[in-house]
Amino acid sequence: MLRIQNISQSNDRILNVVWSDGKIQSIDVVALRRACPCASCVDEWTKEKTLDPQSISEDTRPIEIESVGRYAMKASFTDGHKTGIYTFDLLRKMN
Amino acid sequence: MGILDSVTKVFTSNTRTQSAIRPSKDDVLKALSVVIDPDLQRDIVSLGFVKSVEIQDGSVSCTVELTTPACPVKELLRTQCIEAISALDGVSSVQVQMTARAPQSVTQNGKPVEPALARVANIIAIASGKGGVGKSTTTVNLAYALAKAGAKVGIVDADVYGPSLLQMTKVDMPTAMNGDLVIPPVRDGVKIISSAMFTHGAKAAALRGPMVSQLIRQFLTKVDWGELDYLLIDYPPGTGDVQITLSQMVPITGAVIITTPQEVSLIDVRRAVSMFDTVKIPVIGVVENMSYFVCNGCSEKHELFPGSGGKRLSGEIGMPLLATFPMDPRIARKSDEGEPFSLGAEKSVAHEEYTNLAANVAREVSMLNHQGSKHLESFKIIWRKS
Repeated sequence: MLRIQNISQSNDRILNVVWSDGKIQSIDVVALRRACPCASCVDEWTKEKTLDPQSISEDTRPIEIESVGRYAMKASFTDGHKTGIYTFDLLRKMN
Repeated sequence: MGILDSVTKVFTSNTRTQSAIRPSKDDVLKALSVVIDPDLQRDIVSLGFVKSVEIQDGSVSCTVELTTPACPVKELLRTQCIEAISALDGVSSVQVQMTARAPQSVTQNGKPVEPALARVANIIAIASGKGGVGKSTTTVNLAYALAKAGAKVGIVDADVYGPSLLQMTKVDMPTAMNGDLVIPPVRDGVKIISSAMFTHGAKAAALRGPMVSQLIRQFLTKVDWGELDYLLIDYPPGTGDVQITLSQMVPITGAVIITTPQEVSLIDVRRAVSMFDTVKIPVIGVVENMSYFVCNGCSEKHELFPGSGGKRLSGEIGMPLLATFPMDPRIARKSDEGEPFSLGAEKSVAHEEYTNLAANVAREVSMLNHQGSKHLESFKIIWRKS
């Protein structure tokens, strides 16, 4: 099971993740907001994305990022959105 | 399957080279260092699992000691060890013995716990946000599935307001003492203590909180548990005072949360997860009961709660989904008859799922025990504005 060994803000727009297998991943936080898996961004039953990526402005930033349980994290953003819970699996598949 | 198994593989084709090269102990260890424990993500040599290597002429025998006899990757690791050693020059036969470490006591803040729990390796809470989700049924069947995998298991029925373990296992009452410790009765290898053994029927329902805590403390500390790999505690349902006290009484390795798939249960799961977060007990994962029903007429899965799907549940709370159980009337019937379902030999989806559950719990627990500097337990980042 993949876990996070270290996670930190790299610059204004990039979140750095060091995984337990040694892989280092840089995540664009705007892309993170657009990848939100919550029920208001993804259709719960069909799994289709209902969020229009264009509706997220390029200057959206996280406010806080926090771990949830042992296998996920949640993030609140400057656009007021904070319901997304990102599993580590989902995070790893980004980019 | 016992704790100690061994397999011998003889390579007759290698006999020609036997007189020439002999592998050294270092060669064998080097060969074994390519065998990676898939859960701990490290090789078995640096994990210290390789306990002994004996080389006599061309025959190599070694002992690999795992952290739990219920290790789900035992056979996989054995096969890989045999293959790795066989590939060495001059090896004519390989014998790999898989054993498990004797239970080491759980500790609380580095100090050993109560003498009664001195040889108990893992204490696992089985909890639910609310009643009626199959918590006791899961506890009993998980216990027997772990025991079947070779582990030493005990159960404490701490559900003082509605103890059902006596009914489900038809275990005898305790009759003997070892000093001032009660010797727990054993049913098919599993040690069982239930609050129903010490209270009388309806009286239990009228216990006040502090009395309940005291009663549960006695189950844990006044019982001669002996050597156990897993002690399962069947928690009272809910997230109140009793549950919190119980969580602080003994060092609990982790909690398994039982739920059903509908939305209201999800709310209760979140509540249970947050309670365990508060008392700093890691949640091992979630078990989803009553997920679907397979009727006699067709073999199709009928979902009882539309859109249920454990993936969503486990994703949402950041926990692994350990198992998903169908509604199976046979489980309930067996429970009522006092015959643990997972003890039986019949083949069914539910049966396989109990085996999976035991394997997943064993895996997650050994990962919990092995973590340390390798990864973050929790984190919080406050984004700096440019």
